[in-house]
Amino acid sequence: MSQSRILTFNIFRYDPQQPGDKPAMVQYQLEETPGMTVFIALNRLRAEQDPSLQFDFVCRAGICGSCAMVINGFPTLACRTLTAKYADGNITLMPLPGFELIGDLSVNTGKFMRELAERLKLWLHPDETQHDIHLIEKPMDPEEAAKLYELERCVECGVCVSACATAQMRDTFVGAVGMMKIARFELDSRDARSAEDFYHVIGTQDGVFGCMTLLGCQDNCPKDLPHMQQIAYLRRKMAGTLITISKA
Amino acid sequence: MLTKYQIGGRWLGYPQSYQWSAMADRLQSASGVLLGLFLLLHLHFESSILFGKAAFYRVAQILEGGIFTHSGHGIALITQLFSLFMLVVLMVHAATALRRFPVQLGQWRALRNHLHLINHQDSKLWFWQMLTGFMLFFLASMHLVTMITAPEIGPHLSAARVYHDHAWLLYAILLPAVVIHAMIGLYRVAVKWGITTQRAGLRKIAKILIVYLLCLGVASLVTYLFIGSDLSVPVQPYMPH
Repeated sequence: MSQSRILTFNIFRYDPQQPGDKPAMVQYQLEETPGMTVFIALNRLRAEQDPSLQFDFVCRAGICGSCAMVINGFPTLACRTLTAKYADGNITLMPLPGFELIGDLSVNTGKFMRELAERLKLWLHPDETQHDIHLIEKPMDPEEAAKLYELERCVECGVCVSACATAQMRDTFVGAVGMMKIARFELDSRDARSAEDFYHVIGTQDGVFGCMTLLGCQDNCPKDLPHMQQIAYLRRKMAGTLITISKA
Repeated sequence: MLTKYQIGGRWLGYPQSYQWSAMADRLQSASGVLLGLFLLLHLHFESSILFGKAAFYRVAQILEGGIFTHSGHGIALITQLFSLFMLVVLMVHAATALRRFPVQLGQWRALRNHLHLINHQDSKLWFWQMLTGFMLFFLASMHLVTMITAPEIGPHLSAARVYHDHAWLLYAILLPAVVIHAMIGLYRVAVKWGITTQRAGLRKIAKILIVYLLCLGVASLVTYLFIGSDLSVPVQPYMPH
């Protein structure tokens, strides 16, 4: 039986809550086990070697989006990244850039997502003239439901924001997650907002017209969401809305 | 009605910026496509010198409307007017593309950190596109101003410009910068507006075109240098037999 290899982890360590602490890369070594993910490795490192190591996780199954981090230069979910993928056994872990650092690999994506939702009003805005709650809700066309479901798969992990150079350079840019969610409500027949309303939210330099199509979002999204097509759709739609507004 | 939003005590998303943002985005893409497609034609037209002086003379004669003149040599004013038009398109493209340019030190720092930390091919391509774009603002303008002020085109006159006036120094930098910028730019416009989803194939075509156009451009430039070195000053225009 072959002996399992030793993995070398280079992990970013910094606790902003700790006075005098300085950012540093710390090296750890760990024996690889079959089917090991970066998430499993981090748990073992914390349990066996360094209980102060900070990182986020909830579901361990790519559903909650908490364990996103930069693994060997690629922002992704630790729970969905097998250590076997790295032939040389060297794994460098960095926190997601563009978010408030809580400590080590843990970042506050929640704060960002909440601010974004409030700013873009990312909730259903039904027609206010017809809100009799005693009426049975109109059934949704299955095709429309399928399209909405596709866009609802976003787990708000923050990878698209970290992978986007535009978002890194301009902190007011809504990023792919914001546009994806706007596209979701724009598609929803129950939402009473018009194209013009959406235009006011993302038809700016901070929205779809600020996107430089670098496609870091498309290439790194752990849920394989169609960011490229979605942003292109919004761009065409918003540019078309401009013509309609001008004519009006 | 959704109008403005506030973040960190600052109001953002001013209504007056909406129409400008959309217009600027469309203008940037449209002017970029025009410049990119023109480059494809331009490099092929000028590389007709590879087929000999007569071939290049014929191309220049047709493009300058030689068939409408008594002498048959064409009108330099056409080159001047067209160069002026391209200069306007270039300025529109530069002005609208400037929105993308990192203007603050903090943005440069963020970009540098991003390129260092995140391994992403298209972001790196954009970095090169931005650098070449910055260079082109000066280099392409110089080229176009030269064509407006001294529009004479022909196997001997062009070769004299390249060799005796040392324009090859400008072209040696302009050629790689413009080819890289334009081909990556055309690829980006296609995916930006959702013209195609075949991204990998398109990127491959862009890379092949970069290599092909560079070879074509370098071969033409070397040919002009050889022709120019054989000419004695003052240079006489080429006359077809």
